[in-house]
Amino acid sequence: MATGFTDFLDSFVKSHDNRQLLAIPLAVFAVSLAILLVSFASSGSPLPLGMEFQGGTQISVATTDSPAVLEELYSNYPIMDARQAGNRVIMQFGVMNNEEQRQLEDDVIGRYSNVEIKQIGPVYGKDLQVQALQALAISFIGMAIVVFLIFRSPVPSFAVVLSALSDIIIAAAFMRIAGIELSLGTVAALLMLIGYSVDSDILLTNRVLKRRGTVEEKISRAMQTGITMTSTTLAALVVMYVVSTFPYLIIPSFTQITLLSQISGVLIIGLAADLMNTWLLNTGILRWYVLKPEFSGRFNR
Amino acid sequence: MSDAKSLFKNVRVIIFIIALLASIIAIHPGYSSGEGTTSNLNYGLDLEGGSWLQIKLQGALVQVDADSGMIVSEMVEPVIGAPITITENKLEGNNLSETDNSITFTTDVPVSSSELELLELGRVSVDRLDQDTTQVTIFTSKESLIRLYLASSLDSEVVTFDDGEGPVYEIRTAVSEEELEALMVKVGGSVLMNEDGTSSYTEGVSVQTRDLTRDILNDKLNALGLKDIPVRTVGDDYILIDFAGIDLATAKDIAEKPGKFEIRINTTGTETRHVLYGDSIVSVGIPGFHDNQWNTPFVLDEEGALALQKIAIETGAVDNPNAHYLTMYLDENVVYSAPLSYSAATQLKESPIYSWQASTGGDEEAKAQAQALQIHLRAGALPVNVVLVGSGHVDAALGEQFKTEALIAGLFSLLAVAGVIFRRYRRPEILIPMIGTSISEVIMILGVAAAIGWQMDLAAIAGIIAAIGTGIDHLVIITDEVLYEGKLPPTKVFLSRIGKAFGIIFGAAATTIIAMSPLVFMGFGALKGFAITTIIGVFIGVVIARPVYGVVIKEMLEASEASAARKGEISADE
Repeated sequence: MATGFTDFLDSFVKSHDNRQLLAIPLAVFAVSLAILLVSFASSGSPLPLGMEFQGGTQISVATTDSPAVLEELYSNYPIMDARQAGNRVIMQFGVMNNEEQRQLEDDVIGRYSNVEIKQIGPVYGKDLQVQALQALAISFIGMAIVVFLIFRSPVPSFAVVLSALSDIIIAAAFMRIAGIELSLGTVAALLMLIGYSVDSDILLTNRVLKRRGTVEEKISRAMQTGITMTSTTLAALVVMYVVSTFPYLIIPSFTQITLLSQISGVLIIGLAADLMNTWLLNTGILRWYVLKPEFSGRFNR
Repeated sequence: MSDAKSLFKNVRVIIFIIALLASIIAIHPGYSSGEGTTSNLNYGLDLEGGSWLQIKLQGALVQVDADSGMIVSEMVEPVIGAPITITENKLEGNNLSETDNSITFTTDVPVSSSELELLELGRVSVDRLDQDTTQVTIFTSKESLIRLYLASSLDSEVVTFDDGEGPVYEIRTAVSEEELEALMVKVGGSVLMNEDGTSSYTEGVSVQTRDLTRDILNDKLNALGLKDIPVRTVGDDYILIDFAGIDLATAKDIAEKPGKFEIRINTTGTETRHVLYGDSIVSVGIPGFHDNQWNTPFVLDEEGALALQKIAIETGAVDNPNAHYLTMYLDENVVYSAPLSYSAATQLKESPIYSWQASTGGDEEAKAQAQALQIHLRAGALPVNVVLVGSGHVDAALGEQFKTEALIAGLFSLLAVAGVIFRRYRRPEILIPMIGTSISEVIMILGVAAAIGWQMDLAAIAGIIAAIGTGIDHLVIITDEVLYEGKLPPTKVFLSRIGKAFGIIFGAAATTIIAMSPLVFMGFGALKGFAITTIIGVFIGVVIARPVYGVVIKEMLEASEASAARKGEISADE
């Protein structure tokens, strides 16, 4: 995708003014934010919370039984959901007391093979939820501080931070729409996104502010490099997503690796958003900033 | 080929090669027909199979005040069944922890000192003043009265420590601030405020208690000698136990079963006689140093104390202590053995002894022994109330599958990256060093993991992939910077370009490391591994691997441009 897409994007950026460049990503950003806010207003949480943050038990087993059979089999327990994933069935249970939990575990381990169990108490889940939010907030603020320290100039730094924020909001809104729950894996993905998304922004800002040459040329060059960077990462993630989500296509007995599948899925969307945010949003703000009459002498030598 | 030689004289390249070799040695990959591929890498439970339990320690730390007289009334009146009148109280004042102080009360019913001693308030002296009045003096301190009051009302162990701003009470069970406040109001007191006006109540236990709990669990679980079961603290209030290769049901059995502690006395020769089991031990104190000895204090219940007295007399240990050692066993292993002291032997002839000290000697080793004994004596009984807050289980076969899949995902991802890079540059002399650098970064991350005994689990693998992802990004930045005009610039320009590239890379790496660092310090088990692996990977990449890529790519490009130029000449001649 690298060259054809880069040329297209390059000519798009050259043929539109800054206002037009900003319009698209800001619109997507606004829609995403609206999605999260509506979700927050209606359900009390911007994203559906996974088992890890709510408390409960998740059991996944290798079986040829259908989810309906298992739902029937364990109907004495607070089973909430059973779904097929390749050759496995994943069951979700609500919170149980210790004895019930033990009974269920003994039964499942005795009956099925390749069992995976994860249980989180509701109090711990609440704790994790708070910690996850704190981690996201602290990471983001830390990243913003580093960016300001690197560029020591408010507008370009703000542009980088805004496009990173937009990446995360868009990825989160996508999770909401696609029904991907907030889990430890997806929190990790959002954090990774903070690290990844600023790479190309830093490259762009650095090239435009600290290099000689025309702004147009510097942006084109940065785009060449930046899109190569993002596309290598995307290529790796797409492969990882496919292998961890549909491994049974390669070897029938293989099982989904939920953690890797969630991380790669969210990152793919986040990086796609990053392509837009870096090369339209960030570029638009930066181009406006360096071509302002009072600055043109300084940067556009 | 002189270029290649100069390459190996470059300091960065030498460091890189040493780091790479050291990593391979640390990983120690091998192959044997029996076991397949082997290495020094530790795999996490989700790749190895097994189960884990996460428990939360319940408790509260609080500073409180109360009226010591009211506490004494509150505690003594139910025991003697009559009201009391405080006549003298030397406990109130500044020396709260002074132990020589006393409180005196009178009551109109007869009181025996033994029934009051059972309350363990302190040394008690009882005087019959006249027909209707008994005067009782208790030698104690306000601090210990409050501690005992809290302990008996909440039916929990309560310990005090001083952080320099008055005593802090550690309540080793779940209790809310409201409950505590209600209890304190009953005895004319309250939960104290900090200087900044916030409540001194905090949920949780002290770090020392958390670590003691961890050590006791460790002691108990690993005394079974089944397998190495690591017990780790996570955050302030959580403990995580990994049971590699053990299913969840068995893990819960193991964790719930208390250790078997026993005291026996030598009779004749190697013969021993049972005295008591661990359930007779009421409490275990913190080891202290006095009389040039390290001592671990412990208290026996009525039954245990009487049994010890009876058997010590019957075996003759009271007359000849050195011929009849007392030996302590935990799960059939000897953990302590010593004779009765002369004074204890003498006292046992008269009356049972409740409070004991096990002394271990005066040196550093003895200190460690005393601390170990403190753990053994508890025999797996935890000092705090705990609740199970999380657990997990992965079948060994499933873990094996995950391992293979993660490996496949990694390899295919690398191929995909290589494909994109080749499409962009179409030059093997760029592709090979780039992929080579990435692979060597993976080897070095694994090397560090093997060297520090870090567990490779799925989260850590995700971390490696993240680090490699940013790594490739950075190599692309270096390459494009070097080839800004499409071909290799003169050396001077090249060096300044590399400098600029590293300016960008350091900035990008710094943001990644900063973004990951909160996870390292927070309570999650799984994401901590992810964050640490990412940080190690980014760090290795920036410091060791990427500088070498800069050097290598220059040599490779110079070599290829030289040969391309020669080719150009020949074709022009034709």
